[in-house]
Amino acid sequence: MSQKKTLILFLGLMMVFSLFLAACGQETETGTEPEENDEGSGEEAATGEPQTGGDLVWGQTGSPTLFNPYYSEDTVSSAVENLIYDSLLQSDPNFEPEPRMAEDWNVSDDGLVYTFNLKEGITWHDGEPLTADDVVFSYSIPLHEDYDGPRASTFERIDKIEALDDHTVQITLSEPDAKFIWVGGYHILPEHILGDVPIADIADHDFNTKKPIGTGPFVFEEWQDGQHVKMSANEDYYQGRPYLDTVTFKIVPDANNMLVQLQGGDVNYWSKIPEGDVRTVKKLEDQGQLKTSTTTSLSYTYLGYNLRNELFQDPNVRKAMTHAINREELVEVILDGQGEVAHAPSSPLSWAFNPDTIQYDFDPEKAKELLAEAGWEPGEDGILEKDGKRFSFELKTNQGNKTREESAVVIQEYLSEVGIEVKTRVMEWSAFINDVQAPNWNFEAIILGWALGTDPDPTGIWHSKEIENGLNFVAYENDELDELMDEQIVEMDFETRQQMIWDIFGKIAEDQPYTFLFYPTETAAMPTNLHDHTHHPRNREYNVHEWWLEQ
Amino acid sequence: MTTYIIRRLIMTIPILLGITILTFAIMHLAPGDPTSLMIDPSISPEDREKMIENLGLNDPVHIQYAKWLGRMVQGDFGTSFIRKGTSVSEMIMNRLPNTLILMTASTILAIIVAIPFGVVSATRQYTKLDYSVTVASFLGLATPNFWIGLILLMLFALKIPIFPTGGAETLNAEFSILDRLHHLILPAFVLATADMAGLTRYTRSSMLEVVKQDYMRTARAKGFKEWTVIYQHGLRNALIPVITIFGLMLPTFFGGSVVVEMIFNWPGIGKLFIDSVFQRDYPVIMAITVISATMVVIGNLIADICYAIVDPRIEY
Repeated sequence: MSQKKTLILFLGLMMVFSLFLAACGQETETGTEPEENDEGSGEEAATGEPQTGGDLVWGQTGSPTLFNPYYSEDTVSSAVENLIYDSLLQSDPNFEPEPRMAEDWNVSDDGLVYTFNLKEGITWHDGEPLTADDVVFSYSIPLHEDYDGPRASTFERIDKIEALDDHTVQITLSEPDAKFIWVGGYHILPEHILGDVPIADIADHDFNTKKPIGTGPFVFEEWQDGQHVKMSANEDYYQGRPYLDTVTFKIVPDANNMLVQLQGGDVNYWSKIPEGDVRTVKKLEDQGQLKTSTTTSLSYTYLGYNLRNELFQDPNVRKAMTHAINREELVEVILDGQGEVAHAPSSPLSWAFNPDTIQYDFDPEKAKELLAEAGWEPGEDGILEKDGKRFSFELKTNQGNKTREESAVVIQEYLSEVGIEVKTRVMEWSAFINDVQAPNWNFEAIILGWALGTDPDPTGIWHSKEIENGLNFVAYENDELDELMDEQIVEMDFETRQQMIWDIFGKIAEDQPYTFLFYPTETAAMPTNLHDHTHHPRNREYNVHEWWLEQ
Repeated sequence: MTTYIIRRLIMTIPILLGITILTFAIMHLAPGDPTSLMIDPSISPEDREKMIENLGLNDPVHIQYAKWLGRMVQGDFGTSFIRKGTSVSEMIMNRLPNTLILMTASTILAIIVAIPFGVVSATRQYTKLDYSVTVASFLGLATPNFWIGLILLMLFALKIPIFPTGGAETLNAEFSILDRLHHLILPAFVLATADMAGLTRYTRSSMLEVVKQDYMRTARAKGFKEWTVIYQHGLRNALIPVITIFGLMLPTFFGGSVVVEMIFNWPGIGKLFIDSVFQRDYPVIMAITVISATMVVIGNLIADICYAIVDPRIEY
């Protein structure tokens, strides 16, 4: 009987989940994209010598678009790119640049001249040797006036780029840029194939979808639209042949389907399990079907206030709201413990994270006090009032992200305890983003998340110049911080820059333009016999060539 | 008959035009645009503006529509906004066959099951068999596709793994008809259930009308075997209204397949359509709308033609 009940419950849940058919887990991303990032929890030591062979079937929700890092925008495409292309450098587990195709590099004292030395003997998948000209060619694409992809601004500080010889590239900047080194994380494209194509036509070239050629660990085999993208080991990979024979990205419509496929063994690797499904996957782990790995993710979820709205202009009111929300419980109940409470716009993984940042703990009494000090008195129905205005607002979030939808409801509960009325509204992603972004700013409060880049540069989200047209949706403005942000990006000394960023994030944490909700953890499911896997929260394909399956 | 068909075909033109205008308008009224997904500080507002400009989205809507129509009439659906460089026709041709296979299989299945059951149920009215068929078909009508799909997946792909969990073919395997069929059975069955149930009901009630007719009695009096009476004299007449209903059902096949495609990871056009809607990939949305609208119109036309064939009394 009880088994029957479980079955019915499970089916019932499946039914509910399947109502959110598409648009699951879209996450707002920040930071340069194809960069390779950091690692979280390590793997257990491998048993014995690596073995060659085996296929990894990696489930991906979402269809790829095109395999060209200078044009693609989605995570599935960049996952494919991470396997077939390679870059000069990538981020190691401590967010330090680590060599890939570049043997070494140096930066001039004034921070203006970057010189990269390429490793010898690297070849393209078609056998042609890689040269410095390929690098010059690749980085010049976004600099060209006909370029119509999304990355022009990343490269805009490049003043001059030239190949000194076959293996040396020199880049001169127009002004120093503390995060410029991460441009080295962009994939290199073959000049011998694309060199003659007019820049305006590169986006539409067959190369991107039918026969991408790179220098990466895996060779593109085929893309069956709506089904899979298959790649096989690059026998001549300069870091040694990958141990896996093939990696296939299987395209799966949504998380529910992925669970079924994982259970049925049709998918054996799932890199980002939604928090709500982790428990189910752990059960499969208990049955010995697979193993999981968990790490803190390089992202945070927040409750953002539209500071154009009078309600939220007093910092004490925002602090009160943070005090009123029990975020510990939010993590416990909604994330199923898969995360930790956030206090600042950074991730504990990053060097930009200052453990001593100010923290507003759950304290409803303190919240009521702060609100009373700000002049808000309970009205007849218990809702706070001030000058005849009720403290009532609408909280928006996007559909398909269960964690956010549920958080909204719980936050509504907590705030009502201190006399604040919240109406929640769940919206389809594009419509939601359209409301939130310039020039509409049609929201009072939102729940959203930022996935962070390798470099913690806060400018894009917090600088007041980003209010009019950028991503500073909430219109946070602080002249002093603006100045600090402008200074840190040209500061080449690491320690000094870190202190500056700590100061910036510290002040933002104090001001609470957002209530920082939590840092979710990220869980991956993989075959029990997979070894030497590194769980990297940002670069899920980190060093795939080292992964191996015990045969 | 030929003039009738030609007349009907010409009539489809304004219908299709109306549908495209409506879809175009709704699409452009919906908030968001194809760059909505690019929320990334490393993408400057200027870059986005330039991309929107290049997609031609800064033109007034009626100009965009005219341009689209001009290309469409020449058989060019344009290129995807999201998958740069991939033509929409290619994207659709990759997926459409799968959807058609699924729809055809489920239609055939629905007919094979529904008509005999409907007939049996009518000829043995108020027997246990009739009640069972009635209950089963009401259940089939009332249960949503996705629910049946999930249950079948649970039972026959996970608990008793005799069917695959999804997809159109086994990964990394050689092409084989058997393998394709194996993958087709569950989704086709699920897609067929609701229509199966409906068709059974219609066949039953239509047949009930027919068995009471005088010509049936005449046929029996002439000494024809019961089988011949029912299936040759009765069924032929009973099917006339069923065919109309069937024609009206075709659009629901198309809509229903979207859900089934999602559940069974079937690489058909439904999933492509959903993705395109969420990504605001306008050219793909338009192309799929045109194709499905055309199919619906043609489906109805075929139903009418079949009607004429089975019922010689109908004149045009």
